[in-house]
Amino acid sequence: MIAFDANMVLYIIEIVIGGLLVGVGVHFVPVGGAPAAMAQATGVGTGTVQLAAGSGLTGLLSAGLMMGVTDNIALIVISGAVGAMIMVDATMIVGNWVYIYGVGVPPVSAKVDYDPITKEPQPPYISPGTVGHGIPTVSFVSGTIGGLLGGAGGSLIYYALMSINQNPGLSGFFAIGIFVVNAVIASYNIQGTIEGFHDPKFKRVPRAVQACLVASLVIGIFAVLITGGA
Amino acid sequence: MDMVSMGLLAAMGALATVAGASEDLESDVGSQSNPNSQVQLAAQVGHPHRIYNKAISGEPPSNALYAALAAVTASVLMSGYGMNAFFAIAIGAVVAAIFNGIYSVTAYMGRNTSQARFNQYVYLDVLRTHTTTIMAHAYITAFCVVTISYIMTAPWLPIQHPFPMPLVAFIWGLAIGAIGSSTGDVHYGAEREFQAYPFGAGLNAANSGDIVTKGEAGLRSSIDNAWFCARFGGPATGMAFGLTVFLDNWRTTIFDPATQGWLAIATGVVIVILFNVYNRILEIRSKKRYGPYPEYAGDIEA
Amino acid sequence: MSVAAGGGESKIDKTKLMMYGLGGGVLGIYLTHVLNTITGSGYFSFLAGLGVIAAVVMGSDAVRRVCSYGIGTGVPSIGLMAMGMGLVAAWFGLSIGGVAGPIIGIAIAMGFGYFVGLLANRIIKMNIPVMEEVLMTLGGAGAIVLIGLSVVVSGEISYPLIISSVVDTGYIAIIFIAGSLAILHPFNANLGPDETQDRTLVHTISTGALAMFAAGLASLATIGAAGFLTVIIAVIIWIKTFMWYFQLVKRDSSGVVGTGLLPEGGL
Repeated sequence: MIAFDANMVLYIIEIVIGGLLVGVGVHFVPVGGAPAAMAQATGVGTGTVQLAAGSGLTGLLSAGLMMGVTDNIALIVISGAVGAMIMVDATMIVGNWVYIYGVGVPPVSAKVDYDPITKEPQPPYISPGTVGHGIPTVSFVSGTIGGLLGGAGGSLIYYALMSINQNPGLSGFFAIGIFVVNAVIASYNIQGTIEGFHDPKFKRVPRAVQACLVASLVIGIFAVLITGGA
Repeated sequence: MDMVSMGLLAAMGALATVAGASEDLESDVGSQSNPNSQVQLAAQVGHPHRIYNKAISGEPPSNALYAALAAVTASVLMSGYGMNAFFAIAIGAVVAAIFNGIYSVTAYMGRNTSQARFNQYVYLDVLRTHTTTIMAHAYITAFCVVTISYIMTAPWLPIQHPFPMPLVAFIWGLAIGAIGSSTGDVHYGAEREFQAYPFGAGLNAANSGDIVTKGEAGLRSSIDNAWFCARFGGPATGMAFGLTVFLDNWRTTIFDPATQGWLAIATGVVIVILFNVYNRILEIRSKKRYGPYPEYAGDIEA
Repeated sequence: MSVAAGGGESKIDKTKLMMYGLGGGVLGIYLTHVLNTITGSGYFSFLAGLGVIAAVVMGSDAVRRVCSYGIGTGVPSIGLMAMGMGLVAAWFGLSIGGVAGPIIGIAIAMGFGYFVGLLANRIIKMNIPVMEEVLMTLGGAGAIVLIGLSVVVSGEISYPLIISSVVDTGYIAIIFIAGSLAILHPFNANLGPDETQDRTLVHTISTGALAMFAAGLASLATIGAAGFLTVIIAVIIWIKTFMWYFQLVKRDSSGVVGTGLLPEGGL
């Protein structure tokens, strides 16, 4: 029942690229983990996988809607990316409301002395005994990029699977499965917290690229062989 | 774009806002997610407490469970037994709330029991009074999320998302949990748990675990946390989820994805750019209003 | 949430648990298939549910072992990853293997798990000695849970039937997440310095019963009234194990009190 054809190689490549985008995208999303929930660390106060999955899968919903009416790959992937960016941006904006109005702290990064985008000084605004709080501009932009990559990656995986099995439910769930595998590998790489692309931990990206590449390749080879039933 | 689509979109936005608010309050009463690390720590640093301690595998997976379970139950009742959607979703949400109650009770017992060496008791009256409150909030969340999913997938309504309804509910459940733990929980974790410390600062690492265990009269009960967080954290979470659901669907409602797909994407990009600009404005205003910390002793000028 | 992970020593050996988990899981799935096809009914679906409970106990014990190392991110992520791998592997097995599908799926899932564990240790350099073995166990448990609960819903091992009754209806959503929480929740809920293995595993049986209940609920629409049997058996198991769990809570805790103020030194 296993039938190979030339397109399968293309689909595997798409799944691998999608997995890589997810893996790299996770590094961009600023998450502070548990300490951020007490305004003790810069970033969104949740886990890496949680926010990445929340945004990437919201993007998957947009991509699924788009794929229902068109088969233009660019339209589908970008639609997914935009959906994910909207989710992650809305979350970060409201997160900043809570930090600024609810806790009374300005958004500030502790990993750099000057915000690489706005060039503003950071250390004077860090409250004592913490390592930053809130989502400063550089982290916000980084998070938006993370949403873009995560959403695009998830949608690309969905597109590839959908081209094979023509079953939205099946492809959607496999996309979720491959998404979480890559997101978790990436989050192990950053050990739970990261501020964005200015964070020194971001230099670990090559390791995640290797791991996600291999993992997506292996899982992708199996995934493309699964038929849509019937 | 027609009037029906616009009305449905408005309903989805409103439902999402309610769902977001109730999701956050549910996790505040139960003390779920990241702020719970401090509740967990409290007993270890010598502050046993009567605060609910509900750790259910992270907020996104647990909310995905409630939403998916409610959606599956509703779908079984609708497709297998021909029940009307409204009642089917309501019954589905009841089942989800019961699951929520079971998971909450076992988590409270388990976590407190595993802290036996710190003299943390298991208070049965805390379970009796709080669990129902948590379940009620979970019911509202599950009901709203499944209704949104139903609107997105029902064959007789205009959106007709290709995913089956439980899958859409699963994804929205995951998203609402991610949003709730990222936004509203900060209000609970950074402000309510540490109300004894001055407003306007993050938690000093030296004070970790020193949560407020006493209330206005007597000991603090977690239900009061809902009272506090309903003032800001809950509605803010509702705004975040409402914005996500509304804006994401708004651009595909005003522009038909089949013919004007690129316009829908362009609208989304404009929204994202506006978010970035607004965040910059927020940052500038907050720094101007609050100023640098007086304790700061470094060399870098503010 | 990496505060004070860890727990007590293991009284029950991991190989024993793995044997019961894998054996019980596979046995349950096949008994369901064989008995349901012979009798032409759906009454034996609950057996796959019982197999799933055996597999979640195995998975939960694996989570318990790895989380004592502090994996840098919350407990949930490792289980979600296992379910993600298990999903692709399980469906691959079912898709190509026919009746042998579940065994192929479980084997591939364990392979994936071992492989990702290797990546985590070699490339990401997590240096957690049990990572490969734990992810292998978790991948296997994930595949058994997904296949087992799918068979509860579909009634037999048949790929087209599983696609139409589990995937197209979307019931896979609850199978996926209820299965993951059944594996994850017990250790996460009992986390703390005084965690004990038997309490966590008894709790696992009860969450496994909840997953079985959820799948039984979904099966009411696919195999009809026969699904009630799964639901009722799941409820009975849950009540029994919950009482048992409560007994263990009373045994381990510093005090289960009806009401009262904080203990000495607490104020």
